Amino acid sequence: MIDEVISAARKGRRTYLTELESKQILKEAGINTTEIRLARTKEEAVSLSKEMGFPVALKIVSPDVLHNTDAGGVKLNLKGEEEVARAFDEIISAVKEHEPKAKIEGMAVQNMARPGTEVIIGMSKDPQFGPVLMFGLGGILVEVLKDVSFRIVPLARRDAREMIREIKGYPILEGYRGQEPANIEVLEEMLLKVSDFVEGRPEIKELDINPIFAYSDGAVAVDARVILEPERED
Amino acid sequence: MKDIVRKLDRAFNPRSVAVVGDKRETDYMWLRSLARFQGKVYSVQIDEGELPGIEALGVPNYRSLLDIPGPVDYVIVAVPRAVAPQIVGDCIQKKVGGVMLFTSGFAETNTEEGIRLQQIITDMAREADLNLVGPNCVGIFNPRIGLRHTVDQYYGDGGPVGFISQSGTHATFFSLVGALNGVKVSKSVSYGNAVVLDSADYLDYLAEDDETRIIGMYIEGVRKGRQFFTTLRETTRRKPVLIWKGGETGEGTRATASHTASLAESPRIWDALIKQCGAIKVSSMDEMVDTMKVLLYSKPPAGNRVGLAAMTGGQSVVITDAFAKEGLEVPLLTERSYREFASFFDIIGSSYRNPLDISSNMRSLGRIIRCLDILSQDENIDSVVAELSVAFWTRITAFIPGFVDELMHELSLFKERCDKAFIAILISAHVETAAMEARGRLMERGIPSIPSFERGARALKKVVEYYDWLHATTC
Repeated sequence: MIDEVISAARKGRRTYLTELESKQILKEAGINTTEIRLARTKEEAVSLSKEMGFPVALKIVSPDVLHNTDAGGVKLNLKGEEEVARAFDEIISAVKEHEPKAKIEGMAVQNMARPGTEVIIGMSKDPQFGPVLMFGLGGILVEVLKDVSFRIVPLARRDAREMIREIKGYPILEGYRGQEPANIEVLEEMLLKVSDFVEGRPEIKELDINPIFAYSDGAVAVDARVILEPERED
Repeated sequence: MKDIVRKLDRAFNPRSVAVVGDKRETDYMWLRSLARFQGKVYSVQIDEGELPGIEALGVPNYRSLLDIPGPVDYVIVAVPRAVAPQIVGDCIQKKVGGVMLFTSGFAETNTEEGIRLQQIITDMAREADLNLVGPNCVGIFNPRIGLRHTVDQYYGDGGPVGFISQSGTHATFFSLVGALNGVKVSKSVSYGNAVVLDSADYLDYLAEDDETRIIGMYIEGVRKGRQFFTTLRETTRRKPVLIWKGGETGEGTRATASHTASLAESPRIWDALIKQCGAIKVSSMDEMVDTMKVLLYSKPPAGNRVGLAAMTGGQSVVITDAFAKEGLEVPLLTERSYREFASFFDIIGSSYRNPLDISSNMRSLGRIIRCLDILSQDENIDSVVAELSVAFWTRITAFIPGFVDELMHELSLFKERCDKAFIAILISAHVETAAMEARGRLMERGIPSIPSFERGARALKKVVEYYDWLHATTC
């Protein structure tokens, strides 16, 4: 499956994988993600959402649209068949207006995850040391305060444990002021799985799993982006 | 014997050294530096004008490396850069154990010619598996056999500290500053542009070296990054490794598409790597030397809690600030300790809570030492820190002759029986020379003495963290 996704991207001369592709890959790597499936038509979107159970989210699937939200390509929290059908049409027309030449493959239908504490796990490559993993709290804490920690791949369990506890926002994960605490072991496990996965996949250049919703009994990757190394010309 | 040891042994422990291109202009610095070398020294020079100067030093000169009878283990090259490829070729043909290029003007100049010449010598050395150190460096220092970079360095007697430095100045200064502080080198290497041998190779070598108990590194960038990571992670379990990271990688801002890549700046990755590998991060020469002093001379602290003894009230406040700021804990003592203090301690103008303010008890040597003994035996304390005031000693000595000598003696006895970490802090105040002398006397007695509260606190904290890490790793 992972090889298929990557070779499809290579064929299309793309290094950016879509959210759908990225999640397919992560799922195969053993990482829990929200349910996501491709609908090519409005009818398919409606029947898939019935199958998954409402509420659902619709997101445009197009190799030419990098920032779904900016292009009007995302509709969240759709509660019934009619809402899904209407959202489908609205997304198509918004994307066509924003990016007239975009090739639209369809719509990703996803179940809406219950909100949890947002965290981010990412991978990038250091020019000296190769793949490194990043961990942080999602949203504003990572963007403004850069409250993140790093470790070089491969991670030992101790590294995973330490990098989670190292961020300043760690008390939030422990359940600050009555909020639901995050299951730290599940997050450690997720870091180790990502470490294992990227170690065996040198063709992956960068990876963002952002956000992950962390709960007291688990965690789920809600959005993900995988970027491949440019194809070698040899 | 591990491969790397076999590979670098002749270069680090040479029995014969040749200097190529030494000249009057630099006062024959390389040949002079070898005045105490315990093996054969040769000179290679073709400039007729230089020959009388070399002859005056009593060193046999040859027109080529290839003319030297017998093997050459280590070659020091100080020729102009254009000649470097030819000399490297001779080294290959002569099958030398290693060659160090003091010669500079290569890629570090960022000129076309410099880059071209560097590529030539790199290709030659790699193809022939020649141990090329540098270029643009001062190479290996092995004091036990008198292999030095400068006549200022010591010889005959070495220490337990290995040092690996990208900079020649830091390598030389480390040996000199360290020696003043009781921190002496087993073997050190300055490796400059690292075109063939890189920091990871030297680390691998010193990790195996029996004379080396601690390793310090000054690094600007690494070439064999993955090897460095693996070797470092493995070495710290056996020996403490201190890393002083200078400068930036020069990568600048990379075009990045993900959040992760935009946040993964080089200094943060270095910090993560050092932590992940259990190495000790230092950010200056002073921190390097202070931390090594504590590692070498103090017993390992079992934890984070310090007992602080200051000679006066003001110092007892700021020493506490300094240690608490570094994240060390200054706890209350046990009831038993307080009962013992109550039995002898003069509390008029003094205090024994922790920190101790010894003040009015200072004139009694017995009381000072008793205070330290109580701290060292207290269950709440992992490390004993004593502020020793040179300024006050001088006054006391005026009416108690021999006070300082006796104090030194008592402190060394205390150090012997104290089974916890113990460091002394001697600030200079207005008596710089006397303080330096006193620190030297303490170091001679194996008591690590440090010139400021902040530096002492930082060094102790780093050592506490290292042993914590080691403990968690090995059990």
